[in-house]
Amino acid sequence: MGEKIRIGFYALTSCYGCQLQFAMMDELLQLIPNVEVKCWYMLERDSSEVEPVDIAFIEGSVSTEEEVELVKKIRENAKTVVAVGACATQGGVQSWTDKPLEELWKTVYGDAKVKFQPKKAEPVENYIKVDYKIYGCPPEKRDFLYTLGTLLIGSWPEDIDYPVCLECRLNGNPCVLLEKGEPCLGPITRAGCDARCPAYGIACIGCRGAVGYDVAWFDSLARVFKEKGLTKEEILERMRMFNAHNPKLEEMVKRIFEGVKE
Amino acid sequence: MRYVKLPKENTYTFLERLKEWGKLHAPVKISEKFYDFREIDDVRKVEFHYTRTIMPPKKFFFKPREKLFEFNIRKAEYRETIEDVEPFVIFGVHACDIFGLKILDTIYLDELPDKYYKVRREKGIIIGISCMPDEYCFCNLRETDFADDGFDLFLHELPDGWLVRVGTPTGHRIVDKNIKLFEEVTTEDICAFREFERKRSEAFKYHEDWSDLRYLLELEMEHPMWDEESEKCLACGICNTTCPTCRCYEVQDIVNLDGETGYRERRWDSCQFRSHGLVAGNHNFRPTKKARFMNRYLCKNAYNEKLGISYCVGCGRCTAFCPAGISFVRNLRVILGLEEKTCPSEITEEIPKRGFAYVQNLRGDGL
Ligand code: SF4
Ligand code: SF4
Ligand code: SF4
Ligand code: SF4
Ligand code: SF4
Repeated sequence: MGEKIRIGFYALTSCYGCQLQFAMMDELLQLIPNVEVKCWYMLERDSSEVEPVDIAFIEGSVSTEEEVELVKKIRENAKTVVAVGACATQGGVQSWTDKPLEELWKTVYGDAKVKFQPKKAEPVENYIKVDYKIYGCPPEKRDFLYTLGTLLIGSWPEDIDYPVCLECRLNGNPCVLLEKGEPCLGPITRAGCDARCPAYGIACIGCRGAVGYDVAWFDSLARVFKEKGLTKEEILERMRMFNAHNPKLEEMVKRIFEGVKE
Repeated sequence: MRYVKLPKENTYTFLERLKEWGKLHAPVKISEKFYDFREIDDVRKVEFHYTRTIMPPKKFFFKPREKLFEFNIRKAEYRETIEDVEPFVIFGVHACDIFGLKILDTIYLDELPDKYYKVRREKGIIIGISCMPDEYCFCNLRETDFADDGFDLFLHELPDGWLVRVGTPTGHRIVDKNIKLFEEVTTEDICAFREFERKRSEAFKYHEDWSDLRYLLELEMEHPMWDEESEKCLACGICNTTCPTCRCYEVQDIVNLDGETGYRERRWDSCQFRSHGLVAGNHNFRPTKKARFMNRYLCKNAYNEKLGISYCVGCGRCTAFCPAGISFVRNLRVILGLEEKTCPSEITEEIPKRGFAYVQNLRGDGL
C-alpha cells in the first residue's frame, strides 16, 4: 500500500457509544501500517477537527447551530463521509418528538444557560451529503470492519437493503410476530444485527432504522398489526421510535386506517 | 426393496444407535408452535409427529451462511475453505422435504457441482418418516407425497412400531448392524401400512388437478390477485428462507483492516428483496414488490425437467410461516379458478369453449 489513508472520527451530540464500540476493537491495531488517524479524541488527545482526511466517520445527531457548522467543515475536508449509528443516520431517539424546542429545553434544563445554540436533533444527512451509513444503536463491529476494510482497498461497501427477518431465519429463531402476535418491526428494519432481539424472543423495535430504497412496507406491516388489535397511534409510536424522519411512514400507516372508525 | 419392522419399544434404542453413524439431528419443539431440526442429545426429545420444521433440511447441506474462500489481495491468492465434514444423520425427514433435497441436487450436483453442497450431501444420512398432513400440506397435488428414493431408511408408522423401507447400501448396513432391533414384516403390518396410507391420502385438504397451473400463472399476469396479494406482502423473504427448494444466495467479500487479506461469504437470499434483481448500472429487472412477488410464484411452479415435478414440493411452509397471512395455496387456487370463477360464466362465440385455460372440473364431467 502506498500513502497512508487519513481517517477522522468526529462526535456530535451523542452518548459516544459508537466510538467506544470501535475504539475497543483489537482489530484496529491492524490499521497502524496503513492508516493515519487525524482526529479521534477517544484515541488521540492531539486530534484536530479541521485537518483534511480521506474518510470521516461522524457519530451523533446535529443538535446545535455549532454542529451545523462543524459538519459542513468536516464535509469540506473529507473525501468520503460515513455517518455512524442511529443518531447520525436517523437522528436518534432524541429526534423522536413533535414538541417545540422551547418546551423540550425547559423540561431538561429549566432556566439554565449554555454556551451553544440548541436545535432539534436531526440526522447528519439533513445538512451535508453522506456517502455511506453504518446503522444501529450501537452500530455493529462487523459493519464497521467491513466498511473500513472495503474503503481501505479502494472499493465501495454495499448497503444493507434487506430486513432483519432474513437474519432471523438464517439463525432459525421462532418468529415472535407469528407465534405470539408481538409487534415485531423485523420485516421493515434493516438487517445487520443478526436479529439480536428476536433471538431472545423479544420483538424488534427497529433500532437500525427502516430499510431504505422505498422497500420498508410500513403499510403492509401496519395492516398485520391492525389485525392483531393495535391502534393507529400505537403503531405509529412504535414505528417512529427510530424512524422519526422517514417521510413515508405516517402516510403509509394512515392509509391502512382510512375509512376505519376508531 | 428391503422391508423390516422396528417394534415401538426399540425406537429409542434405535435412535441411540444412530448416533454411532454420525451426529444425530432430528425435529424438536423449539417454541410453543414451532419445530426445527436440532442436534439431539436426549433422544426422548425427538418429535415423531411434528407438522413442519421452520427451517427446511436444506440447511444441513446448503448452509444459511458460509465462508467460501480466503484471499490475499497483495499476493493475488485465494484458498477455498471447504469444511472437513464428519458424517451426520438427519432423522425424521418428511417425504416432501426429501423431494426438496432431490430438487436441490438437480441444481447443486448434476451439472457444475457445488463443492460445498456436495461434501455435505455425501456425508449426510437421511432417515425419512411418515406424516399426517395438516391444513397447509399439499404435497399430494405436487406428487411429492411418497418418496421412492433420496433416503437411506424410511420409517412408516404402524400401531406398534415402524415399517422400514431400506433405500441405500448405507441403509442396509444400519439395519444389519442393529439386526436384533428389527423383526420381519407380518401380514398385519402390511394391512396397517395400507390403512395408514389410505387415511393419509384422505386427510389432504384438496384433491384436484393442478397440471395446468404453471401455464395459467403465465397467462394470468393481469389477474387482480397479483395486486391484491402483493399489496399485503411485507417482502420479508420468509417464504424463501423457509422453502426447502429455494436455492438463491448472495455473496460478499469482507476485507480485513490490514487492507490485504479477507474472505468471501455467501448467505441465503430471497427474490423478494430489492437487490435480488439489481444489476450493473443500477438497473433492476424486478423493480416493484409486485414483480418480485410474482417471481416467486412462477419460480416455484416452474417445471423441473429432471424430476418431472414442480419446484414447489407442497410442504406448506411459505403459507404457514408468512407473517402477513398470505396463503400461497389459496392464491394458486384463485389462478386455477378453484377458489372463485375466473372466467366469464357466459362464454361468447369468440372465446373457445374448450381448452385448458377454461377447464373447471374437466375429467369427463359433462362431456
Ligand atoms: S421474529 Fe420478527 S424479525 Fe424474526 S422473522 Fe419474525 S417478524 Fe421477522
Ligand atoms: S432486532 Fe431490531 S431492535 Fe434488536 S438490535 Fe436488531 S434492529 Fe435493533
Ligand atoms: S413470507 Fe409472506 S409477507 Fe414475507 S415475503 Fe413471503 S409472501 Fe411476503
Ligand atoms: S428466485 Fe426466488 S423463489 Fe426462486 S429459488 Fe430464488 S429465492 Fe426461491
Ligand atoms: S413454495 Fe411453499 S409450499 Fe412449496 S415447497 Fe416452497 S415453502 Fe413449501
